Amino acid sequence: MLKDITLGQYFPGNSVLHKLDPRMKIFLIIIYIVTIFAANNPLSFVLVLASAFVLMLISKIPAKLILRGLKAVFFIMAFTAVINIFWTSGEHLLLDLGIVKIYMEGITYAVFMIVRVISLIIGTSVLLTYTTSPIALTDGLERVLAPLKVLHIPVHEFSMMMTIALRFIPTLIEETDKIISAQKARGADFNSGNLMQRAKALIPVMVPLFVSAFHRADELAIAMECRCYRGGEGRTRMTQLHYQSQDIVMLIVMLSFMAVVIALNFIF
Amino acid sequence: MEEAKHAASIALENVTYRYSIGTPFEKAALQNISLQFEGGIITGLMGHTGSGKSTIAQLLNGLLQPTEGKVTIDGKDIWEDPKKISQIRFRVGLVFQYPEYQLFEETVLRDIAYGPGNMGLPQEEIQRRVADAAKFTGITPDMLEKSPFELSGGQKRRVAIAGVMAMDPEILVLDEPAAGLDPRGRKEILGGIRAYQREKKNTIIIISHSMEDMAIYADKLMVLDHGHVSRYGTAHDIFCHAEDLKRVGLSRPQITKFIMELQKAGIPVESGIYTVDDAYHEVLRVFGEKERG
Amino acid sequence: MEHQYIIEANNLCFSYKTEDGGAFPVIKNLSFAIEKGSFVAILGHNGSGKSTLAKLCNMILTPDSGTLVVGGVDVTRNDLSEDDIYQLRRQIGMVFQNPDNQLVATIVEEDIAFGPENLGIPPKEIRARVDDALRAVNMTEFARHSPTQLSGGQKQRIAIAGIIAMLPDCIIFDESTAMLDPIGRAEVMETIERLNREKGITVLLITHYMDEAIRADRVIVMNQGEIFLDDTPRRVFSKVDQLKSVGLDVPQVTDLVNRLRTDAGFSIPADILHSAEAVEVLKTLYQQKKLRIDREEK
Repeated sequence: MLKDITLGQYFPGNSVLHKLDPRMKIFLIIIYIVTIFAANNPLSFVLVLASAFVLMLISKIPAKLILRGLKAVFFIMAFTAVINIFWTSGEHLLLDLGIVKIYMEGITYAVFMIVRVISLIIGTSVLLTYTTSPIALTDGLERVLAPLKVLHIPVHEFSMMMTIALRFIPTLIEETDKIISAQKARGADFNSGNLMQRAKALIPVMVPLFVSAFHRADELAIAMECRCYRGGEGRTRMTQLHYQSQDIVMLIVMLSFMAVVIALNFIF
Repeated sequence: MEEAKHAASIALENVTYRYSIGTPFEKAALQNISLQFEGGIITGLMGHTGSGKSTIAQLLNGLLQPTEGKVTIDGKDIWEDPKKISQIRFRVGLVFQYPEYQLFEETVLRDIAYGPGNMGLPQEEIQRRVADAAKFTGITPDMLEKSPFELSGGQKRRVAIAGVMAMDPEILVLDEPAAGLDPRGRKEILGGIRAYQREKKNTIIIISHSMEDMAIYADKLMVLDHGHVSRYGTAHDIFCHAEDLKRVGLSRPQITKFIMELQKAGIPVESGIYTVDDAYHEVLRVFGEKERG
Repeated sequence: MEHQYIIEANNLCFSYKTEDGGAFPVIKNLSFAIEKGSFVAILGHNGSGKSTLAKLCNMILTPDSGTLVVGGVDVTRNDLSEDDIYQLRRQIGMVFQNPDNQLVATIVEEDIAFGPENLGIPPKEIRARVDDALRAVNMTEFARHSPTQLSGGQKQRIAIAGIIAMLPDCIIFDESTAMLDPIGRAEVMETIERLNREKGITVLLITHYMDEAIRADRVIVMNQGEIFLDDTPRRVFSKVDQLKSVGLDVPQVTDLVNRLRTDAGFSIPADILHSAEAVEVLKTLYQQKKLRIDREEK
C-alpha cells in the first residue's frame, strides 16, 4: 500500500547523531561541506573519506542503506570522473592515444572528485537526512533562519507550510490510493491507450483529489482558527531547543577537523 | 415467459492476503479464510474495525489479488485469466466507504453514466440504466442536471451509489453505505438498496457496523472475528446468541439487550428479538391480549 | 458577578447567500442560553441548522442580526477587536467531524501543544498542560506517535486534548462521532462525559445519535433553523411522534415503551428513558398479572 512509504529517509535510532540538536546539525553540515571542499591533497582526502565512514559508524545506520544512496549517484560520479580524466591536462603524461591524452593530474582529480561526492553524500545523509526526522529538520531550519524575519522573510509561515505538508502527505497518498481503486471499480482503465488517452483517464482521479484537498484545507483552516492560530507573532513553542554538551563536543571536533584539513593545505 | 434470473454466489476459498510484501511493513490482513455469500439475497457483513472487512470487499471484485487461495463466482476462479479481471469488476460492483469523494463529472447524470460508459454500452442502454439507478437512490430528475459538487453530503452519497448500481452488477458490495448519515438518510439509502435488490434479484453484500440497520435490511448476517467467520445466519439466529457479539466488538441492538434484561427479570420472553416491532408483539404475547392495562 | 450562562443568544438570525444574490435563512430568530457546566445535546437532521449554530457560537460565522453573549461579553457588538474574538475562541473550543482535518502536527504531543503555543503560553506551562490533556483523554502512551498511526477514535481524542490544553470553559462537538466506528464512538463519548463531570467543562454536543443525546442534561431539538423542543432528555424522548415528524428516531426501548403505552394500553409512565427503568416497570406489571391469574385460578 502506498501509505507505507516512509517520508524522506529518516531512519529512527538512538545514536549520538540522532540526539544532536537539529540546529547544531545544520551548522555541522555546513562546516563539513566547507572542509570537504577545502581539502586539496591526498592526506586530506584520506582523512575526509575516513571521517565520512567514522560518522557512518557512529550513526549506526546500516551501511547497506547508505550504499544504496550512493548507487543512485553512481552515474554522475562516473561521468564526472571520465570528464576529469580526459579533459585535465598536466605534466605527467601517462597515455597518449593521439587525440586524447591522459595525465596523472586527471586521474588525481577524478579520484578527488569521487572522494568528495562520496563524503558529501555519506556526510549529509548520516548527519542530516537519515538521523533527523523531517519535523525536527523543519523545526531546526525555522530556528536557524529566525533572524531573517528582520528582513521580512516569512520564516514561520514557510515552516508551518512544511509542517502541514508533512502531516498531510500520507493522508493524501492514502486518499489517492482510494480514489484510484474506486474509479477502477467503476471500470476506469489507467494502463492502456496512448499518452493522450492515459492522461484523460486520470481526470476521474485528479478532480476528486483536488476537490478533497481543497475541502480538507478549508476545514483545517477553520480548525486552526478555532485553535487561536494567527501567524507566528506572539507564538511560543513547547519544545525549547537547548544545546547539550554533546552538541558542543561535536562542534569542537568538527571545527578541529576543519582546522587540520586547512592546515594540511599549507604544509603540502 | 422470462426465466427467473440466476443469482450469482461469490466465495473466498482458503484466501490469505498479505500487503506490502517484501517490505518491513508486510502484514497478513487475512489468513486462510473461507466464506461464501449466497446468491439472490442481501448479506450483512459485520465485524469490528480491522477484522478484514474492507480487504474482503476489494478481493471480491478483483481490486486485490489473493496472496494464496481463490475467489470464485459460482465456483469459477476470477483470477483464472488475469487479463480479464476488468470484466470481473463489471460483474462485481463495489461502492467504497464515503464514496462521495469519487465524484468528478460536470453533471450528476454524466457521473452516474461513467461506469456504464466504461462498459461500452450503447447510449440508450446507459440512459435507461441511469434513470433506473436514480429511481432507487432517490435522485430527482432536476438533480441529474446539477453539478455533483452543488449537492449536500447525503445527496452526493446517493449519486455515488447510483454510479455503481447503473453498472447493473450481478453482485454488489457496499462498504458502510450509510456511514455518517442522519437517521432519515440512513433509512432512505438502505431502503433504496433493498428495493433495488428485490427488483433485480441480484446478490448484495453490505458491510456495516450497525447491528440495528443490518437486522432490518439484510436477509442473512455474517459476523467476522479476527479474520474468520464467527457466525452466519438470519438475524434471529445471530441475536439468539447475542452474548457472542459483545466479544467480537460489535454492539447488540438496544432492543435485543432489553429483551435479555426482561428475561433476567423473570419475564418469559423469547431470545433472538432484534426489532421494535418483534419486541412489541413478543411482550403482548407474554402478557396476553386481554391482560393489558 | 459570576455569570450563570456561558452562552446567551437572543434573536439570532443567519442566512447563507445564494449564487443568484438571494439569501437562504438557516437560523431563524433563535434565543437560548447555555448554563455553565451543563451538558447539552443539540439534535436535528442534516440541514436543520445545528452545525451553523455551532459556528455562530464560535464566531466562525457572524450572525446577520441578534446578540450573542459569551462568558458575559457581547461578541456581536460593533467594536469587537481581533483580540476579543481570539479570547472567545479560547473559551469556546470546537471539535469537528473529520478527525483527519483538524490535526496540524506530525507528532501527537506537538499537535496538542498547537493551541497553547498560539496563545503565547510559556513553554514549561505548555508542557504541563499537554501532559494533563493527554491524561484527560487517556492517550499518554501515544504522546510521541504520529496521528496517521491512530484509529479514528484515538485521533478524535487527540483533537479533544488539543482543545483541553487551551483550558476552555466550553467545548462544542460538531458531530464529532459521526465518522467513527462503535468502539471509537464509545471512547469519545466516555471522554466527553468525563470532561463534563470531572473538569466542569460545559459541553455542547451536536449529534444525530439518540443514544448519545440521552446522556446529556438537556436536549435541544432543532428543525428548519428553529428550536423545536428544548427540555430534559426524559421529556424530549417521551414525545416520540413529534420527534419522528422531524426525521429523528427515538431510542428503540423508548419507542417500544411508547407503543405499549399508546397502542396496547399498558399503564407505563410516558417519560421512561433508560432500559433499566422499563425493565422494572414491566416486571412489576408482569408480577401483578401473575398474581391476578393465580387468584382467578383459586
